[in-house]
Amino acid sequence: MKLIQALEILRTPSGESDMRMKVLLAAGFTPLHLQTFLAAHLRSGSPQIVPEMQTGLYGDLAGTLERVDPAAAGAVVAVIEWSDLDPRLGMRTLGGWRPTDLAGIAQSAEASLGRVVRALAAIAERIPVVIVTPTLPLPPLFTTRGARTSAAEARLQRNLASAIEELAPVSGIRIVNPQALAQVSAPADRYDIKSDLNSGFPYTLAHAGALAEIIATLLRDRQPMKGLITDLDDTLWSGIVGDDGPDQISWSLDRHTQLHAIYQQMLASLAGAGVLIGVASKNDSAVVERAFEREDLLISKSDIYPFEVHWSAKSESVARILKAWNIGADSVVFVDDNPMELAEVKAAFPEMDCRLFPRNDYVATRRLFHDLRDAFGKHVVSSEDALRLESLRAAGAWRGDEESAAPVSDDFLAAAEAVLAFDCGLSPEDMRAFELINKTNQFNLNGNRLTESEWRKFFADPGAFMLTASYKDKFGPLGKIAVVLGRANGRRIEVSAWVMSCRAFSRRIEHQTLKFLFDQLGVEEIAFDYRSTPRNGPLTDILREQLGSAPAPGAILTKSHFLARIPALFHCVEVSVHV
Amino acid sequence: MSELDSELEDRLVRCFASVFPALSEDEIRAASADSSGVWDSLATVTLGAVIEEEFSVAIDPNVLPDLDSFKAFLACLRQAGVN
Repeated sequence: MKLIQALEILRTPSGESDMRMKVLLAAGFTPLHLQTFLAAHLRSGSPQIVPEMQTGLYGDLAGTLERVDPAAAGAVVAVIEWSDLDPRLGMRTLGGWRPTDLAGIAQSAEASLGRVVRALAAIAERIPVVIVTPTLPLPPLFTTRGARTSAAEARLQRNLASAIEELAPVSGIRIVNPQALAQVSAPADRYDIKSDLNSGFPYTLAHAGALAEIIATLLRDRQPMKGLITDLDDTLWSGIVGDDGPDQISWSLDRHTQLHAIYQQMLASLAGAGVLIGVASKNDSAVVERAFEREDLLISKSDIYPFEVHWSAKSESVARILKAWNIGADSVVFVDDNPMELAEVKAAFPEMDCRLFPRNDYVATRRLFHDLRDAFGKHVVSSEDALRLESLRAAGAWRGDEESAAPVSDDFLAAAEAVLAFDCGLSPEDMRAFELINKTNQFNLNGNRLTESEWRKFFADPGAFMLTASYKDKFGPLGKIAVVLGRANGRRIEVSAWVMSCRAFSRRIEHQTLKFLFDQLGVEEIAFDYRSTPRNGPLTDILREQLGSAPAPGAILTKSHFLARIPALFHCVEVSVHV
Repeated sequence: MSELDSELEDRLVRCFASVFPALSEDEIRAASADSSGVWDSLATVTLGAVIEEEFSVAIDPNVLPDLDSFKAFLACLRQAGVN
């Protein structure tokens, strides 16, 4: 994006329903065009978002961060350059580069960095923070030749690395990856000394634009994709297993088929992080079974569910996999080496991300690996991620039993040995709850999504409460599957969000949840901030069943009404409360 | 005015319009720091950066403060051999 294009994007008039997004761009230099590019990238990426940019005090990054009022900003972008840690590490200040000055520079940089880190950690407790670590080269102040690293420089880099290691795991913090930045902005082309000395803006326009685009990506922080469906022949392995036989397909350096081995390793990594991996292959299932018995496969059969191996159309396989996973096509990536198969699936599921496995193109295959990490990348791998596949298999077993004895009978539920653990607390650090709110579609009170900033602000409300529910039964654990957000108002609670994973349907968890709210919170009425969405039929059905009529916005369920309709419940209920 | 001159002016108008969105095309062609209430030092720096990028020229920072009108920028570009 050129600067003129960025300015033109910002001229686009905003609509009344557009969402204002307050962003504090904290930098020690004049942010000028970085501010313009960032606002333009935020606007062009989400046209309904109107960024309202604020900036800090020139030359005082630490002070700007220490003065941040989290209630007044939606997010903070902190751009740290070396000169913010000690002005002598920039070109605009003449404080001396004598060898005897170096120890003092390192010391003061360490102290400044400490201030910045403390301020950032405090801000991140309330609102999201994107951090940019120094992108510009250090000036030639060290006594070694430029090609040689000096101990003094290594000390600066070590302190910076320690700070990054400390901040990176904090849930509200997203640090720009220097390696990703280097892909789009070559380090040698970033510094504009003329602009730095004459206007106080140190970046070339190209660097400012590239950096702004990455910052905007991190500010938007979209939800990761949930599942990947892969082909087998010439994709998961090299060769046609039906023709070559299970012993002759390959994925190794020796056979020059290492790309397939890396792909297997990538899928195993994604599976370990909770991504659902399914197989759609036109093959003989018995032959594929034998291929998966090979011990040198880098992904195990147990990492994959389900296998759709037969001669039907790929789109039919994909449809069955989506049904087993119970997720939408827009959350799934389909990978195949055959463009015709990709086109057939894309025609059936236009919203699915269909990717070619470019097996003869090393560079494109490497790019695919990076793209997959981008599509599925998440901040932390939670215990629920590890449970997901197991719980889906359990759900499959549940469905199997259900189908043989539909509808779900009291006897079946009573024998399920279900344990429902409610947790009432107020922790914005519960990122699984945040994830559920933002990715659940079917059992969702209103479809409202929360930004991380809104999520953290919710917990600052003195009347607010959050109830989460975790479930397990004899088929296995489902982990944390439901979240209720609301606020107490006398004898009534007002529920603003209620979501439940589709994996937990048909277990009467929703009834037990309502019972818990009435009993434990001692209220007579529950008011629901209900809104019909194209996908929240299951939630609507439950409210209709309880209310005795179609739910409307603001629908109120009374305790007496609920108790008159409550079905038999068989869960063993455990309760924990955190204040 | 030649076709090239006209094209140069039109491109410069687009640069000015990106920085001064409230001005009409006629107002842009007559714009100067004195007459326009929206032309401040920040606008000068932004305008300089936009024009440098758009025309692939380098503007001497000592000259930039003197470029205080549409006509002055146009003359600067012509002097730099841009057409």
